[in-house]
Amino acid sequence: MTVSLSLDNVTAHYGSTKVLEDLSLHVGEGELVSLLGSSGCGKTTTLRLVAGFLEPTSGSIKLGERDLTRLPAHARNIGLVFQTYALFPHLTVRDNVAFGLKQRGVGAADRRKRADDMIERVGLGHLADRHPANLSGGQRQRVALARALVIEPPLLMFDEPLSNLDAKLRVDMRVEIRRLQQANGTTALYVTHDQEEAFSISDRVAIMNAGKIMQLDTPEVLYSRPANAFVADFVGFENMIPMRAISEAGDAVRAEMAGGATIDLPKEKFTVPAQDFILATRPEGLLVAAEGQGVPTKLGLRTYLGRAYQYQCDTPAGEIKANGPLSQPFESGSSAVLVPQPEQCCLLPTEAA
Amino acid sequence: MPRKLRPWLLSAPALLLVLLFLGLPVLSTLATTFGDPKGPLAQYATFFNSRFRMTVLWRTMEVALITTAVSVVVGFITAWVVAQAPARVKSLLIIAAVFPLLTGVVVRSFAWLVILGKNGILNDFLLWIGVISEPLTMLYTKGSVIVAMIYLFVPLMILTLVGVLEGIPQDLTDAAASLGAKPGAAFRQVVLPLAVPGLIVGSVLVFTGSFTSYATPQLLGGEGQMMMGTFLYQRAMVTFDWVGASTIAAVMVVVTLTTVLIMSKIARRVNPMAG
Amino acid sequence: MKQRIHPLLVAFAVLVFFFLLGPLVIILGSAVSDTSYLTFPPQGLTLRWFSNIFEISAFVRTMKTSFLLAVGGTALSMAIGIPAAYALARFRFQLPAFLGNIYVLPILIPEIVLGFSLMKTVAIGADVPIMLALLLGHALIVLPYCVRVVGASLNSFDFSIEEAAVSLGCPRWKAFFTVVLPNVRAGIIAGFILAFITSLNDVSVSIFLTGPGVSTLPIQLLAHMEQFFDPTIASVSVLLMGVTVAVMAIVERTLGLTFLTK
Repeated sequence: MTVSLSLDNVTAHYGSTKVLEDLSLHVGEGELVSLLGSSGCGKTTTLRLVAGFLEPTSGSIKLGERDLTRLPAHARNIGLVFQTYALFPHLTVRDNVAFGLKQRGVGAADRRKRADDMIERVGLGHLADRHPANLSGGQRQRVALARALVIEPPLLMFDEPLSNLDAKLRVDMRVEIRRLQQANGTTALYVTHDQEEAFSISDRVAIMNAGKIMQLDTPEVLYSRPANAFVADFVGFENMIPMRAISEAGDAVRAEMAGGATIDLPKEKFTVPAQDFILATRPEGLLVAAEGQGVPTKLGLRTYLGRAYQYQCDTPAGEIKANGPLSQPFESGSSAVLVPQPEQCCLLPTEAA
Repeated sequence: MPRKLRPWLLSAPALLLVLLFLGLPVLSTLATTFGDPKGPLAQYATFFNSRFRMTVLWRTMEVALITTAVSVVVGFITAWVVAQAPARVKSLLIIAAVFPLLTGVVVRSFAWLVILGKNGILNDFLLWIGVISEPLTMLYTKGSVIVAMIYLFVPLMILTLVGVLEGIPQDLTDAAASLGAKPGAAFRQVVLPLAVPGLIVGSVLVFTGSFTSYATPQLLGGEGQMMMGTFLYQRAMVTFDWVGASTIAAVMVVVTLTTVLIMSKIARRVNPMAG
Repeated sequence: MKQRIHPLLVAFAVLVFFFLLGPLVIILGSAVSDTSYLTFPPQGLTLRWFSNIFEISAFVRTMKTSFLLAVGGTALSMAIGIPAAYALARFRFQLPAFLGNIYVLPILIPEIVLGFSLMKTVAIGADVPIMLALLLGHALIVLPYCVRVVGASLNSFDFSIEEAAVSLGCPRWKAFFTVVLPNVRAGIIAGFILAFITSLNDVSVSIFLTGPGVSTLPIQLLAHMEQFFDPTIASVSVLLMGVTVAVMAIVERTLGLTFLTK
């Protein structure tokens, strides 16, 4: 019953505005892939295309061997969990869950049994006769989940399913979603703007921007090895220091940065991608030291983070945040060097503006 | 001004206007009907035993019910189309529905006088294409009143129902489709049940409006097709039978208020949003 | 809720709008017809029926009365309706819930019953001058619009803004005029204009409170129609439709016409 989902060269428009450009995406059997990005990046559009609420301008969408591209939404057999839950307010929990079975011509008795079983599985057995208006947010979410699961769809899709829940419930529910998805081995596409949520439950994550996938990889790779400046910025590489390779210095590449300071980057630890590149790091990727190979700076405001001190640094390359050890506090106003930590830094090609 | 009294002082002028100039006069009208020397209900006995009065009452009921039924069907279909229309077309259509609604009853009834008269446009047209050889008598019939009433109330129904249909979240119909419901099934199982409260509200507006109308039956029904409104006026201002007029008024109040109360109770019960 | 719709339904809706607007187009056409009787399509083109309106003194007189009544009745209704709506929104928990229903009684009670009762109890019973009785009657029938439309604006008004003004040293009454009212201006304008057109078009209440000497335009129109059948009536109707257009333009500018579908 598990199948894969393929989008091939899909382009989509809202009116005359292009919202998705030549997008290709493959979700393997039983895999959970998240589409992650800020609003307007095309993630929800992608989901609505797969659901059949939108038609692509060009390209094709396939579920296993089945071509969905021109199929009406009601014939696609996809379980969809909406951001608003979209529970039918006039139906009880049981009738909501049984709705899809009814459309499939399942007899009343069987329908009731299967709906009740599923309601039991999401832990709402005692609420089957309630109407949605009388449920809490978390309970509604579970009903929405049960309703999508009971039709045993080959593909499950989630559109920001947790954004209307409070923080603690969000964590519980995402674990629940992952558990049910894995238990059934269902292929799943998950849309969210919450990085932690996407990274915590996905096999792979596609980070999207302006209708394109910027990088598609496992959360681990995305977190530590972003492929471009957009993704680096998205996953929290706050410091972007533009550099230019000027010469070879033995086993290192000598790079120059704004203001004329240079740094030697050992070749065995750093791969320089182009002559012009960006050194991207999180604050913990730059170690504040008295001396060494690094970015010269004047230290500004110091804040205490518990595991380290963080300094606002005024460098020739601009404002930068860097961490320093608790054992060696520096005074504000003193000069220091910011030493890049190879395993926590990425060298990225400068993007064509 | 004292803190506790402030809400009441602000409300007082409006409350006084309603109580003094609506509550008191209407209650006095109702009270008049029980003052008959032959017993408190004598006026009502007269009313319900009078063939003529009952004919007027039933005619009014009939006209109001037909108007409501037709308005519901016509209004719902039209509202459905309007609700699905692209934004720009939709606002044009809403303008087209609001315009007649805000144009006075007299003007709108007058239009039908021009259309349905003996030398009216419809007769002219039918004679011209040769369907008939003599002008038809369309005016001053029950039919002419009903047509004009429908004309009067369809815009109200359309606007009420467009609001209701727009209020049904797109997500719900999307959800129905994603669960395998064909458009027809989604309409029957999701849209229609959710529109029922709005349909009831619209029907109540149309029913009470047409049941108590005056200008339209006066212009298009005349003496022969008297309805409760025109009958009340005739009793009060032509024959100066104020007690009789008050009894008609009382019947109208009872019919409209019970309709409103019962239907709004039903609307509340079937309203799923209320839980 | 966007779905593809059956072409038959679209055709039906087109017919409905034709039915809704056709009669008004017919009035327009017959108002400019150069004939002494009402006909459509117009034969010839003239504006003489419009100038004719102003030669019939009854029309001129009642037009003035209707306009004064609509402005005066609405102003009175607003003057007492705005504070009432404010109290309902601001002191939601201090006031009993049924209070809001009292203001809509003028819609609930058949207008014709209200007109008859006003005539009997107020105009004749209490010997109130006819013009004043008319004014009170019109203020009553438009009160629901004033309270409801302004109330809708007030319900979305954030009263902490008013409290901010008071905390900054502004007296309460002044805060009401300088902070609350400007923020619900759209609702007040739209409410005023809807009330105005309702009053201007009223028949059922006015019919009992008019007589020789005092009458309103719709009542005069009704009387005129029963005796004459010339294009003057059509041209008066066109003038009234012009007022409707103006009203719609103002509502569209303030709350937007979609407000009327709520």
